[in-house]
Amino acid sequence: MNGLFDSGFMLIVLLSIAGLAIFGLMAVIALVGVYIERKVSAFMQDRVGPMGQGAGLHAGKWGLLQTVADTVKLLMKEDIIPKAADRKLFIIAPYIIFIAAFIAMAALPFNQVLIAINLNIGVFYILAVSSLGVIGLILAGWASDNKWSLYGGMRSAAQIISYEIPAALSIVSVIMITGTLSMQGIIQSQSGTILGFIPNWIIFNNPFSFIAFFVFFIAGVAETNRTPFDIPEAESELVAGFHTEYSGMRWAFFFLSEYANMFIVSGIAVTVFLGGWLSPISGLMDSAGWGLFWFLSKIAVLIFIMMWFRWTFPRLRVDQLMNVSWKYLLPIALFNIFGVGLWMLLLG
Amino acid sequence: MRNYLYGIVETLQTMFTGLGITWKHMVRIRKGNVTLQYPEEKWPRPERNIGFDFSNYNVIRARLHQNIDDCIGCLKCARACPVDCITIETVKVPKGTDLGTTSNDTKKRLLVKRFDIDMSECMFCNLCTYPCPESCIFMTGGPNSEKHVLDYEFSEYDRDNLIYKFATVTPEEIERLTTQPQVDLVPAEDQNKTNGDAING
Repeated sequence: MNGLFDSGFMLIVLLSIAGLAIFGLMAVIALVGVYIERKVSAFMQDRVGPMGQGAGLHAGKWGLLQTVADTVKLLMKEDIIPKAADRKLFIIAPYIIFIAAFIAMAALPFNQVLIAINLNIGVFYILAVSSLGVIGLILAGWASDNKWSLYGGMRSAAQIISYEIPAALSIVSVIMITGTLSMQGIIQSQSGTILGFIPNWIIFNNPFSFIAFFVFFIAGVAETNRTPFDIPEAESELVAGFHTEYSGMRWAFFFLSEYANMFIVSGIAVTVFLGGWLSPISGLMDSAGWGLFWFLSKIAVLIFIMMWFRWTFPRLRVDQLMNVSWKYLLPIALFNIFGVGLWMLLLG
Repeated sequence: MRNYLYGIVETLQTMFTGLGITWKHMVRIRKGNVTLQYPEEKWPRPERNIGFDFSNYNVIRARLHQNIDDCIGCLKCARACPVDCITIETVKVPKGTDLGTTSNDTKKRLLVKRFDIDMSECMFCNLCTYPCPESCIFMTGGPNSEKHVLDYEFSEYDRDNLIYKFATVTPEEIERLTTQPQVDLVPAEDQNKTNGDAING
């Protein structure tokens, strides 16, 4: 029996369980996320959103079954592959995007123990693999043989490459403070309090890291292709951008990975700036179960803010998008690194 | 440099203004919203004052309705209908059978076996209502609102349900009223026709 445990077999079983759990989590995130998004958007526009009332089988109380019904519809839809499309690339593209989101989630620390792989280069790994998704976007755009898709793919490539830089630079300024790349290490370095009551999270550590959080968050919103940075799938210009030609389950994979990406970006922001699974009041409710609760609720707040952005701001033009990244976020991020260095030298 | 920093400040200010507006709308859920859960909630129907006296002319033609108790089976409405959406079948009853009277005190002579109005075909021209001697076929709403409720929502899952069947007489009743000794059941018109055909042949 011992031999079996020592062999690679057990490792494969454990990794499969972790993979299934992450897949289930992604599905749940998309289901809940779509529902919340529709409700939030409705309330912000003085509507009621999905509702079910009266006799018969409707969308349930407050439309709670709406996304379930949507999923069933997507599963039953016809899978259309355009004649002129590059068949192989067209089929493979959604899976690449999905896998990029999937493997990034493996290094997210949900609480003290719940982490699929505790890498010592966790932040670096997540930043690296989450930008893999852009390959899928370009493939999808190219393989569709559709000018809207191609535009969407090219735009998203330009956008993600631009916004990776300020995002990575603001994380660099954090790593200067923590001195570690491990996700758990970064969280542990944030325990304790400042002045006895403010939690010792990186965001409160110094004024520069405070700004770095906002730089990272804005860049993160842009990386997930969400409004106001949704030019890759701008409805009014590009129909649906890179996923114009997709339907049914393949389209659902794009959708699934969009919400998973929101979760990952918020997860990184929470881990790196907002103390991860640490309780806001130091020493209170800091068991493993509460750790999961704090982690998920912090992420929920950030995802809500992303939705709030989406239903408030109009879309940026392509040149404005590049302006924001290269002329504003990048200089601010560089200034932050300098500022954090100075702060550590003088006060650290 | 001054413009650059001013731009950042202005951007942040306008951002928070916008976020504030959407937040305000979100926390006032269901106060200012305009969506009604339709079958359960409805807007009140406005008062129909269109600027002139419409007591003679029914401007509101919500649905064609027929009051079977007053119908004498004269087929005038069915003949007036430009789209033939009214189908009436009548049965002769033996002499002396009492079918009652209408509200105008006209004696009913024919038993109306079938009175169907296909509302999917009706074009709301109102032409059938003028010839009716008993004023028993009318459009609901307007001056007729005291005769019948104004019902304008008649969506159906099955198209056949749009055929409104007004005749209330049951087959047993037809049987009972027509089994009494009588001369013939075929209308005189039709009998002439068969006779004529026979002569030609």
